Amino acid sequence: MGSSDEKRHVVLPDKADDVRLVERIAGGDAEALGELYDRYGRTAFGMLYRMLPGPEAAEEVTQDAFHSIWRQARSYRRERGSVRTWLLAICRNAAIDWRRTRGKRVEREVAIDGAAELLSDAKVDERVIDALRAEKIRKAVGELPAEQREVLALAFWGGYSQSEIAARTNTPLGTVKSRVRLGMNKLRERLADER
Amino acid sequence: MTMDRHPTEDLPAYALGALEESERESITTHVAKCEQCTRELAAFEDALYEAAAVGATGVGAPGREATVNPPRDLRTRIVLRHRGARVVGGVGWPERLRAFFLRPVPLFVPAVLAVLVLIAFAVVGTSRQQTDAYANALAGVADGRVVALAPQEGNPDARAAIVIPARGQPYLVVRLPAPPSGKAWEAWVLKPGPVAVPAGTSQDGGVFTLVLTSPLGAGNGIAITLEPIAGSAQPTTRPVLAVDRT
Repeated sequence: MGSSDEKRHVVLPDKADDVRLVERIAGGDAEALGELYDRYGRTAFGMLYRMLPGPEAAEEVTQDAFHSIWRQARSYRRERGSVRTWLLAICRNAAIDWRRTRGKRVEREVAIDGAAELLSDAKVDERVIDALRAEKIRKAVGELPAEQREVLALAFWGGYSQSEIAARTNTPLGTVKSRVRLGMNKLRERLADER
Repeated sequence: MTMDRHPTEDLPAYALGALEESERESITTHVAKCEQCTRELAAFEDALYEAAAVGATGVGAPGREATVNPPRDLRTRIVLRHRGARVVGGVGWPERLRAFFLRPVPLFVPAVLAVLVLIAFAVVGTSRQQTDAYANALAGVADGRVVALAPQEGNPDARAAIVIPARGQPYLVVRLPAPPSGKAWEAWVLKPGPVAVPAGTSQDGGVFTLVLTSPLGAGNGIAITLEPIAGSAQPTTRPVLAVDRT
């Protein structure tokens, strides 16, 4: 760890550069859309693959999501979050819409920390997140109590509302709400601490 | 319902998308006009999606491969679909046209799209406007999957994409010059074997649509060749546009 080779992996996209890409997309530059795909396409596809029944669905929704990005580029506001957050939120919403329109609630409830054992994979998209930062994120997520990780995973990957989670897990709604609130606050605080 | 107080308690669930639709509405309204809550929400979402980005680079479900990569040509298809297209936000007729096509009338879309694209081409008829018409036609697809065909050697300006609607027949949106006298553009469905199945002809030029007359199976390819007006049983020329797999 800590070798000069590993340090070369720290090539996080410059946020200002991301914003310029979105501005170019808003101006009708399809090549900029391709560059944005180069940065986040693999991450987006991976996220959609986790949420949907298989690679064909993930491929279809990735296309749809990048079409939405093309259409919504003018509405991006950097004060509302990073380009990555904006892009992944569009992807996630597209996946949830896909499941609703196809009438399929996909039972893929991978825990939100499910990547914990996977980030040692050298193929991690280092342009999206460097290895050291990824390690810190895994640690921060892993330190959340299991019941908080569970509700976050059900909501995020499964697309379930708090009421649905309460029904599925046979847990009082108030308890679910409390776990969501505590889990999200801890996640935010710990990732902020790690910056 | 109005909300004067900051929805501090519910913002985390809002960021997570875990609120009921009825609960979301008032928070959306509040956040839109509250800088403090906008910042708070951004902080929650950035943390959440950063964690998700880490998780998304691998697949955690038991029995699944550890990493997953998108198809190699997905980037090309995404870029081709939008090359030359206008983005939303303008106020000209292309935007109104696009909004029209976005109406939730899936089966209606192909026919109207074909008519309006042809009218647009007849009225203006220039290369640039053809580019716009083609791009707008694809950008206006409201319900369906779009797969671009790649221009083949010697035809860099040719464009086509297959639109596979949720319901109804797949159709091609094509931008090609009018075929020479006595010739037509012929579409082919490429099945394993390999077998090329005739799927319709057109003598149109400019931007036009061509509804496939043969079923398109999962993963089948598509090609367009120049053939006699009556069509051919098998392709007799090299494709001007093709995609191996839809």
